[in-house]
Amino acid sequence: MSNVIVNRVKEFLFQYPPFSFLSDELLESVAKEVELMYFSREEYIFRKGNLANPHFFVLKEGSVYLTEEDSGKMVVKDYCDEGDVFGVMALLGNRPYVLNAYAAEDSLLYAVPVDVFNKILKGNSEVSLYFAAGFAAGQVVVRTDLSQSQKARKLFKDASSDHGLSLFLENGKVNFPTEVLSCQKGAKISEAAQMMHDMDVGSIVVLDHQDHPIGIITDKDLRNRVVATGLSVDAKVEEIMTSPVMTMHHKSNFPSLYLMMIKHHLHHLILTEDGTDQSKITGILSDHDVFLSQGNSPAVLIHALMNTWEVDEMKVIRDRAENLLAYYLENEVAIDFIANIISEVNDVIIRRAILLAKKKLDSKYPKASKVPFCFLSLGSEGRQEQLLRTDLDNALVYEDVEDDEKEETKAYFLQLSQEIIDVLLACGFHPCPSKVMANNPKWCNSLSTWEAYFSEWVNLPDEESLIKATIFFDFRPVYGNKKLAEAMTEHIFKAIDKREVFMSFLANNALLNPPPLGFFRNFIVEKSGEHKDQFDIKLRAMLPLADAARLLILSHRQKGVNNTFKRFELLAELEPQNAEVFREAGKAYEIFLRLRGLEGIGSNSSGRYISPSSLGKLQRQMLKNAFSPIRQIQEMLALRFQTDFIDR
Amino acid sequence: MSWLDIFRKKQEKIPEVNQYEALFDTELSKKTPIKDLSFVVLDTETTGLDVKNDHVLAFGGIKIINERIKVDTSMESLLFSTKQNVSSIKIHEIIQSNDAMPIDDFVKLLLPYLSTHIMVAHHAGFDQAMLEKLVKPYGLRKILNPVVDTGDLAIRIEHGMPYDPNRINLKDYSLDALCERYKIPIHDRHTAAGDAFLTAQLLLKLLKEADKKGIKTYGDLMRY
Repeated sequence: MSNVIVNRVKEFLFQYPPFSFLSDELLESVAKEVELMYFSREEYIFRKGNLANPHFFVLKEGSVYLTEEDSGKMVVKDYCDEGDVFGVMALLGNRPYVLNAYAAEDSLLYAVPVDVFNKILKGNSEVSLYFAAGFAAGQVVVRTDLSQSQKARKLFKDASSDHGLSLFLENGKVNFPTEVLSCQKGAKISEAAQMMHDMDVGSIVVLDHQDHPIGIITDKDLRNRVVATGLSVDAKVEEIMTSPVMTMHHKSNFPSLYLMMIKHHLHHLILTEDGTDQSKITGILSDHDVFLSQGNSPAVLIHALMNTWEVDEMKVIRDRAENLLAYYLENEVAIDFIANIISEVNDVIIRRAILLAKKKLDSKYPKASKVPFCFLSLGSEGRQEQLLRTDLDNALVYEDVEDDEKEETKAYFLQLSQEIIDVLLACGFHPCPSKVMANNPKWCNSLSTWEAYFSEWVNLPDEESLIKATIFFDFRPVYGNKKLAEAMTEHIFKAIDKREVFMSFLANNALLNPPPLGFFRNFIVEKSGEHKDQFDIKLRAMLPLADAARLLILSHRQKGVNNTFKRFELLAELEPQNAEVFREAGKAYEIFLRLRGLEGIGSNSSGRYISPSSLGKLQRQMLKNAFSPIRQIQEMLALRFQTDFIDR
Repeated sequence: MSWLDIFRKKQEKIPEVNQYEALFDTELSKKTPIKDLSFVVLDTETTGLDVKNDHVLAFGGIKIINERIKVDTSMESLLFSTKQNVSSIKIHEIIQSNDAMPIDDFVKLLLPYLSTHIMVAHHAGFDQAMLEKLVKPYGLRKILNPVVDTGDLAIRIEHGMPYDPNRINLKDYSLDALCERYKIPIHDRHTAAGDAFLTAQLLLKLLKEADKKGIKTYGDLMRY
């Protein structure tokens, strides 16, 4: 057989999952069995109902549509471009094809025999997961289990070169001491221990007469090799030091230093002038430094926030929380945990800002400052889903006061809100472009005014009312008297009880943005067949789910659960018959939230707009799969809330 | 023995030649649809372009069976050479390799490999002549496979039959030019197997075009 040709085929296949997961040897065994086929535009590669071929396909060039006939019309269910895998039904057992495959352009295909691949499928967990997760084109129609998708993503993280999933920040910064405590070979243990005590450090490096590092002693060594063994403290340091030491060049980048420590389970890594132990020490890196550099622990951050009144410092801490966020996102830490931590940090900042403002103003308003109030976060912050510092959405509600106090009370709370917002902006949050903020006289009001607003929106559900309902109904008390917030919720429930039709309007609003069908080359493919070049993940994927969750939770009159994936979890319990689709929707939401967070951190933006060309094959497929529950939920809403009766 | 045989240099036929010749006893029907045909697409790298004085350094081939290029039918061989030609080494970067195969062994592999497939090459006449020169000492005077030249086929598809040779710029029908026109990414050019693989992909595309022009059977293809 020809090596040149087999290698050429290998090289092509290796670019794309699942082939990218194969060892060179396995890939070669696949490549040897490949057959190339060419189809002209408008030819069918296979038809629905045909018995599956003994091979599946990888598109080498051209494009293929997977179609299905729906009441006499051909509907495209999936689009394949270069590197896409399709026709995998044969792999999953001898079943007939569920879709037609139609060459939309002249297309060259690699046919991979199922026989050879079946062997690999059994032997390689990543490859079998790839198919189990429905990453091949057209598979999503058949199965939509996103938990497999999530599992797969974790596994593929290192194997794939997909952007945004790399373990480390490119310019990971770490602070470590460049002044290293050291002693000469021949020194007594007692002397070394005394030096460690004086300098209050946990380790000391032992040097030879040329000042080159030959060993290291840590607190643990003193404990285990001296005290526990009863060794004399007059013994020489050489007797207890760990030697030789691991060294690296002092200009090495952080990831390589970190990897070295992980690989060799090092607690300390010594940095030297030329990277070997035959040169002078320039620094020492401890696992503790690494831990701190990784964005600190959330507890450290929150503690630091609680201990400062300096706005500048609060901003620095919030910036550090962002590093922590990046690290968590990239390392697949559970999204509800991440969201909780970040909202907690944001909430602490808001509370500090309120206290700062009160300190400044309360003496000027002795009476008004005693009026109970509640500061509310709205929108994504209200849902505890705001990972990045995107726009502020907040409001303030205060208890109704006597007529003669109204003016002064409002003046106080407006001024208070202004101060709060100023602090938040200084901390790096962005103002809301439509001014949904507590310093807006409209959104800083007494409970009775808020109740009047809600009644109006429910009774006159025009476009504007519905937009407001979607923002304001997700309020969450952050500071102050929670009873005021509860009263608002009760009022909303009562208003809806009287006017159930409002729910249909809300449902209609939730259906305004159907998810796209998928991706094709560098475009978003719409259900209408239209192509767009940028994907608005907020509008097209997240809002539809957030809107649906809010509506459904409202229809069950549940309160206190604001978070979209928690809402879906609760819905799954409330409606066991629909549990599966709700759970899928929750998982899909998590996928979108994570991707948006990563995109935002990567591009230093809100992460809202994602260019398909920046997505790897796996990410595209994962997104595409995650669109599927949105469609199911939307169909459910349309049916349940009779939206067909409402003019759009 | 006829007196004529005195003038003909008598060559013993090796068994592989007899077996090869026997394969051609039955003729392929002209009505055979193209999709049922099998092709062997090949390329040779030689010391030069002079059939008389140059010889084959490397052979690459791959088969197309039922309209599919089958990687597992691919073959590449470096041949043991007594001559080294500096200019061809520059083009093909072939220097005498340890993997080189004695010509005896190669011929014994080649004939069963060619079988009765339609032999396809770019500028097939040259490859055919070089291979015939190679097999002659083993008792085979002529390669019996039907031969298709991808350059000729492309001209025929693009210009129709008959065409005016003066209106054709042959540069447009080089393997490079055709690959570019038929959107075949060029890799491994000037290795025998690499060129054979490119030519096979070209043939696959040309046959689709041929079908659109009404060239649908073996007879149509060979213009019998």
